[in-house]
Amino acid sequence: MTSEMNEGGADEMGQLLRERLPRHQAPARLRVSVADALDPPEPRRRPSLWLAPALSALATAMVMVLWLAPALPRSSPDSMQRLSRAVVSEYARAVFTGDVDPGLVPSTLPRVMQETGVRLPWVFTGDQDIRLVNAQPAYLEGRRALALTYQDRDGHSVSYIISHGPTVVIPDRERVQIARWRPAVRTEDGLSLIVWRQSGLVCVMVSDLVSASDLGRFKEYFVKVRSSTEVTPNY
Amino acid sequence: MADDEFRQQALRHIDALYNLAVYLTRNGSEAEDLVQETYARALRFSHRFEPGTYMRAWMFQILRNTFLTFYRLREREPALSEAGVPEGEAPMFHHAPAEDGESAGAHMDLERALERIPEEFRTPLLLAEVEGLSLEEVARIMDCPVGTVKSRIFRAKERLRGLLKDYEGPDLTT
Repeated sequence: MTSEMNEGGADEMGQLLRERLPRHQAPARLRVSVADALDPPEPRRRPSLWLAPALSALATAMVMVLWLAPALPRSSPDSMQRLSRAVVSEYARAVFTGDVDPGLVPSTLPRVMQETGVRLPWVFTGDQDIRLVNAQPAYLEGRRALALTYQDRDGHSVSYIISHGPTVVIPDRERVQIARWRPAVRTEDGLSLIVWRQSGLVCVMVSDLVSASDLGRFKEYFVKVRSSTEVTPNY
Repeated sequence: MADDEFRQQALRHIDALYNLAVYLTRNGSEAEDLVQETYARALRFSHRFEPGTYMRAWMFQILRNTFLTFYRLREREPALSEAGVPEGEAPMFHHAPAEDGESAGAHMDLERALERIPEEFRTPLLLAEVEGLSLEEVARIMDCPVGTVKSRIFRAKERLRGLLKDYEGPDLTT
C-alpha cells in the first residue's frame, strides 16, 4: 500500500525512516505497569456443596450491611482511594513527627534516596514562596517511598511523596489540566491531593490547602515542584 | 473475544505504541503516561473491539485520540523536557543502542526534522512508513479519507527532505 506513496523519488525517504529513525523500546517498568493494569481478575471457582448455605448467609449479611451501611466505614475502596488514604497517613506522620530543618536536608537526602530506592537527580529546594524542610523515608501500602516536606510562608505543609507503585490507574474524570500536565486532583479527609505518574513511579503531593483560593496556590506549588524535580527509580 | 486473549494481544503492541508516543509527545515520561492511558482506555472499551479486525491499528487509534484529547494543547507551547530545558536543545530520550558518532548524529538530525513536522503529517508518515500500516488503516486512525492520507504523507516527506538539507553532517537524503 505504502508503495503507492513512494512515487516520484519519495521512496528513499521512507527507506531512510525505516533504517535510520531510532525505534524506542517500551521501558521495562512501563511493561510491568501495563501488564499489572491489564491483570485479569481471579478466575471463578467451581460451585461446591457449601454454595447454597454460603449464599444464604451472604444474603443475610448483605441485608445487615445495607441496613448498617451509613454507620460503617466504606469498604473495598478503589486503588486511587487506597493510595489517597495511605498518603494522608504519611502526610500526618510527616507533619507531626518530621523535623523542620532546611539545613539538614542536604545531608539526609542521599541516605533517604538510598533507603527508599527513589533517586532525585534534581530537587526543587524552594523559592520565596515555599521551601524544602524535610526528607524522610515513607511507606505507601507496604512499598518504599520517599517523602519531601515543604512549608510555605503561611506555615502550610505540602508533602511530596514518591513511591514504587502501587499500581494505580489514574481515572480520566479526576484529571485536571495544570500548566502542561494533567494529573488527578482529589480530596481525602479534608486534604487536597495531586496524583500523577512519572518515570514509572507514583507521585503524590498532599496539602491542607483546600479552599478554592488555596487550591490555586497548591497547583502553583505543584508546577514549581513538578518542573524542577526529576525522579527516577533506583532499583 | 475473551478478556485474556484481548489482554495478551493488546500487550504485544506496547513497543510500537510507545515508539509512536515518544514521537508524538517528544518526552519519555509523557510517552509512558500516554501509553498507560491508552491501555486503560483500550481495556475500558474492549467490548467495542471487533474480533478479526486489526488490533494494532485500533490501539494506535486510541493512542492518537488520547494524545489529541490530553496533550495537544502542549503542541502550541514550547516543548520542555523533564528538566525544563527546551526539548530541541537536549538529546531526545530513547533506548537506541550505542552507535558510532556519525550514525548517532544522523539519527538526531532525522528526529529533530521529524519533530518540526506538524502532527497531522508526522503521524501518518510514521504509521505508514515505520509501522507498515496500510493507507486504509492509517486513514481510519486519522479519521480522514485515504486520499488525504496519501497527500499528507507525500507532503510530510517533502518537508522532511527540505528540513534535512538544512542540517549539517552527512547528506541523509541521498
